[in-house]
Amino acid sequence: MKTLLLATLFLPAVAATLTGGGRMQARCWALVASLATLVGAIVLVAGFPIGAEDFAGTHWHWFAAMDKALDIQFSVGLDGLSLWLFALTALLLVVAVLVSWEAIKDQESLYYRFLLLLGTGMLGVFVARDIILFYLFFEFTLVPLFFLIGIWGSEQRRYAAIKFFLFTLAGSVLTLLGLLTIVLWDWNSGSGHPMTFSIPELTAHLQAHSMPYHLQVWLFLALFAGFAIKVPLFPLHTWLPLAHVEAPAAGSILLAGVLLKIGTYGFLRFSLPMLPDAAAACMPWMLWLSVAGILYGALVALAQTDLKRLIAYSSVSHLGFCMLGIFALNRVALQGGALQMINHGLSTGGLFALVGMLYQRYHTRRIADFGGIAREVPVLAFFMLFMTLASIGLPGLNGFVGEFLLLMGMFQRAWGTVATEWTVQYRVISVLAVSGVVLGAWYMLSLVARVFFGPLRERKHTEPITDLTLREVAALVPLCLVIVWIGVQPKFFLDRMAPAIDQLTGQAMCAADPKEELAQRRKGASEQRNEEMDDILKSAMEIAREP
Amino acid sequence: MNLEVVNFLSAEIVLVVAALAIYLGGAFSTSQKVWAPIALGAILLSAVALWQYGAKPPTPILPAESATWDASPAGLGVAAMVYGAQNTPVIADSLAAYGRWLALAIGAVMVLIVWRPLAMGGMPEYLGSLLLMIAGLMLVATAANLVLLFVGLELISIPTYILLSLGRRDPASQEAAAKYFYLSVLASAILLYGLSFFYGTAGTMQLSALHSPMAVPTEFESLGKVAMVLIVAGLCFRVTAVPFHFYAPDVYQGTTQANAALLSSLPKAAGLLALVRLIVLGMPEMEPYSWHIFLALSILTMTLGNVLALWQENVRRLFAYSSIANAGYMFIGLAVGLAPGTASGLWGGIGAMFFYLCVYAAATLGTFAVLAYLNRQRQQIETVEELAGLGRTHPTMAAALAVCMFSLAGLPPAAGLWGKLMLFGSALNVESASGGPLRPWFIALAIIGALNAAVAAYYYLRIVSLMYFREPLVTLQAEGGPGPYVAALLCSLTVLVLGFYPGPLMKECIEAGKSRELGAQRWEQVIIRESSGGKSMTER
Repeated sequence: MKTLLLATLFLPAVAATLTGGGRMQARCWALVASLATLVGAIVLVAGFPIGAEDFAGTHWHWFAAMDKALDIQFSVGLDGLSLWLFALTALLLVVAVLVSWEAIKDQESLYYRFLLLLGTGMLGVFVARDIILFYLFFEFTLVPLFFLIGIWGSEQRRYAAIKFFLFTLAGSVLTLLGLLTIVLWDWNSGSGHPMTFSIPELTAHLQAHSMPYHLQVWLFLALFAGFAIKVPLFPLHTWLPLAHVEAPAAGSILLAGVLLKIGTYGFLRFSLPMLPDAAAACMPWMLWLSVAGILYGALVALAQTDLKRLIAYSSVSHLGFCMLGIFALNRVALQGGALQMINHGLSTGGLFALVGMLYQRYHTRRIADFGGIAREVPVLAFFMLFMTLASIGLPGLNGFVGEFLLLMGMFQRAWGTVATEWTVQYRVISVLAVSGVVLGAWYMLSLVARVFFGPLRERKHTEPITDLTLREVAALVPLCLVIVWIGVQPKFFLDRMAPAIDQLTGQAMCAADPKEELAQRRKGASEQRNEEMDDILKSAMEIAREP
Repeated sequence: MNLEVVNFLSAEIVLVVAALAIYLGGAFSTSQKVWAPIALGAILLSAVALWQYGAKPPTPILPAESATWDASPAGLGVAAMVYGAQNTPVIADSLAAYGRWLALAIGAVMVLIVWRPLAMGGMPEYLGSLLLMIAGLMLVATAANLVLLFVGLELISIPTYILLSLGRRDPASQEAAAKYFYLSVLASAILLYGLSFFYGTAGTMQLSALHSPMAVPTEFESLGKVAMVLIVAGLCFRVTAVPFHFYAPDVYQGTTQANAALLSSLPKAAGLLALVRLIVLGMPEMEPYSWHIFLALSILTMTLGNVLALWQENVRRLFAYSSIANAGYMFIGLAVGLAPGTASGLWGGIGAMFFYLCVYAAATLGTFAVLAYLNRQRQQIETVEELAGLGRTHPTMAAALAVCMFSLAGLPPAAGLWGKLMLFGSALNVESASGGPLRPWFIALAIIGALNAAVAAYYYLRIVSLMYFREPLVTLQAEGGPGPYVAALLCSLTVLVLGFYPGPLMKECIEAGKSRELGAQRWEQVIIRESSGGKSMTER
């Protein structure tokens, strides 16, 4: 498994260096490489034992030639939190290659090279078990995407590429300082162990021996700078619509599907486990920002005239839900938030792929230019409707499970815990968040209605419109299958994810409501909580089954 | 001078002899083409000599057994320590080894960049001067004596005046040469004045003596400050630190790509090495003051350099500001290294600065090598816009330039990231255990540095975006020849390899940065031995 993980991780990059030649060769090569990556990821998922903390880990002392003190490692491994994101990345990489098949008509070998490099960068972010290695991959993802947007994007691509890059970089340099400070503090805190950059070790040290509160808050802000821009959390989202609109379809898929998740992943991997007190203290503010993002994204999406822009703003809204789930800081909500990361990757990735396919056929993304095209492209319309329903949370599909869990958790936070001075605000937030779900259904369904149904519009282009080809269907079907799978059997996914999340965020959850957690602990917490989780899931399934 | 010293300096001697031979040969031969291979051969020979005689492990300058105490130089009543009877002018520590190898590496790349004969002749003079400059940098790195150090610095400055007037003959170029000449002479004078105060307070020309724990008597303390300020001012000119940076944009713009490459690497390395020798190693008693100076200079230099670079259209002017900004980053390392009580070594700042210097030099030389390759014979690349579409017309060179840009911007997988990481990490580590009063200053320094890195990314990325995201405007002839091509590839590959495997070089750099600690330890040993032997250490 060790070798397999390394192979899966580096396969796209190796393929990127070897690829070349003409269009056909480049894209076939890219497809083979991404399919092999996907197969590797599936084997890893299948072999993942529930509760593993360092599955298929490789730890190589990268700086072995140096002082013992600078023990930056090439350390990779999978745990429950990274497993699904890793698999999602591999899946979306295949989709991205298939979507680019006909769309890219210029410098193809260079294009697939960057796409595959981006693949390795994204996979690396999720498997890195060394803080510096994480940061290297985190930053490296910017480089290929910069080229993808800048070379193969639409009209404003240069501006979009630079804005996207600088925005993200400005935040991530502060994150770097924060991460370095964590390492240095841990080293200097007097426990006498050598300097370590290993994420699990740092997490364990910091959980056993937590930082002073004020330092935690500062570090939380430093990490926030990078991760919140990446998410993007309102009001730091302004780079996102532009980057999405200008990026080529594959770029949008990977940007929305995977790269935004790096932000939420960062919160789950670093902020919550390493800075639990600060996370608990910042909870109300984070919740307000999340709900502001949910509503703002939804309202702005309602007013959009451009298909891609609309979906981009819907991402802002959906990522707001993820953040809401994460920062409600209780077990149910965290699981919902983490699951929603995967859900959003699948459904929004699919939506961007479909918009790309529409654009290829109609050469426009203006909603007003469409109308009634379900008659011309029924299969495409079917998939669009399917993805839309997944995205707005139709029971039985994945979006429902995630949103249900995280809203459930948020309501627990607002009504189910011991009242604090914040409780009223939590209640307001919960209600607003639910209204975000309604708004989401509104803008997505009205989009589908305007584009696919109603009277057929006259077009400028007279070329015949064909429905989806087999290749395009092949790109979408796996997404749909996973969407349904999560929808009907979320337990399979949550079981693998839950132990890691519980373990990582346990302290933050305790810090968020100390009395509650203490009581729970006395009762022999974990089993009881698992039952509670199962109950909730069961009730969710029941709701789903109702007509 | 004895034979040992001659052996030790054989690498420098080879270069100087070769330079003189090339000067002389140039008078008799009209061929312009033979000189570059000869110069490269001389550098290789010098490297062999350095390998044979100069690359000793960092042992004490002379074994402690032969140290004697000489307590009466200059009648100042200052206890000065003079090593042994020979009073050796050179030092063979890890810092010297680092500086000398760096000089040879920069020199080899520079010879490649100027491989194709200049349009108006003057190749032998150019290459001879270049070799002298390399020898100068090597001397600066290894000098243990104020006079030799100054000679080394002048050996860099004086040939620069010649180089700046070769290659181009237009008013802008002459303005550049004249400007550099006057300001450089002024800077040398300031430095020399500072050195005279240094001598006055310390009572010796031997740098090694100044590592001594016996500080300067209190009545001279203020003079020490004067010496420090003057020395810093004189050397900041070489490093192009604010406020001594004004010449750089004009001079870079007015000269050739090769000269700009040279100016942005060699004098900067010399200035930094001399600063480490004189301020960090030579004036430990000035620590309470000196870190303030470098902290302020660092913030000013990087901010000003980066902000002004944002608006530049001329490509060399842009890189002049970029080199100013990078000097600012490197001063982070100096400020950290001078902060009292900083652990030297891994996060000690000086080592990080040396690593950053290597990476910076590779990336900058690579950048100018690409530009030199793209030159037409009579006219060089002037504006940034001329690089538009390079990704299509010259894909290899565009890739090399892009790698250099990413390194300068501090993005993986290029090595620049490691440099920034080490520098910022060292700043964050100052007093991180004790939470002392200096900590906020250095955290602020790290934050300002990091934000500067983000600002700088704009203009580096602008170049990348021009090369790849735009259609070509003009067809670049690319008459630079194979030399710059090879140099560009070499530099960008170095940057990439260091990005993937920085460990070994980092180790060397950290060793070089540890000289301070080693020096202190050595002195402690000597003192223990002397005091246990019952001798009095000083006779005031």
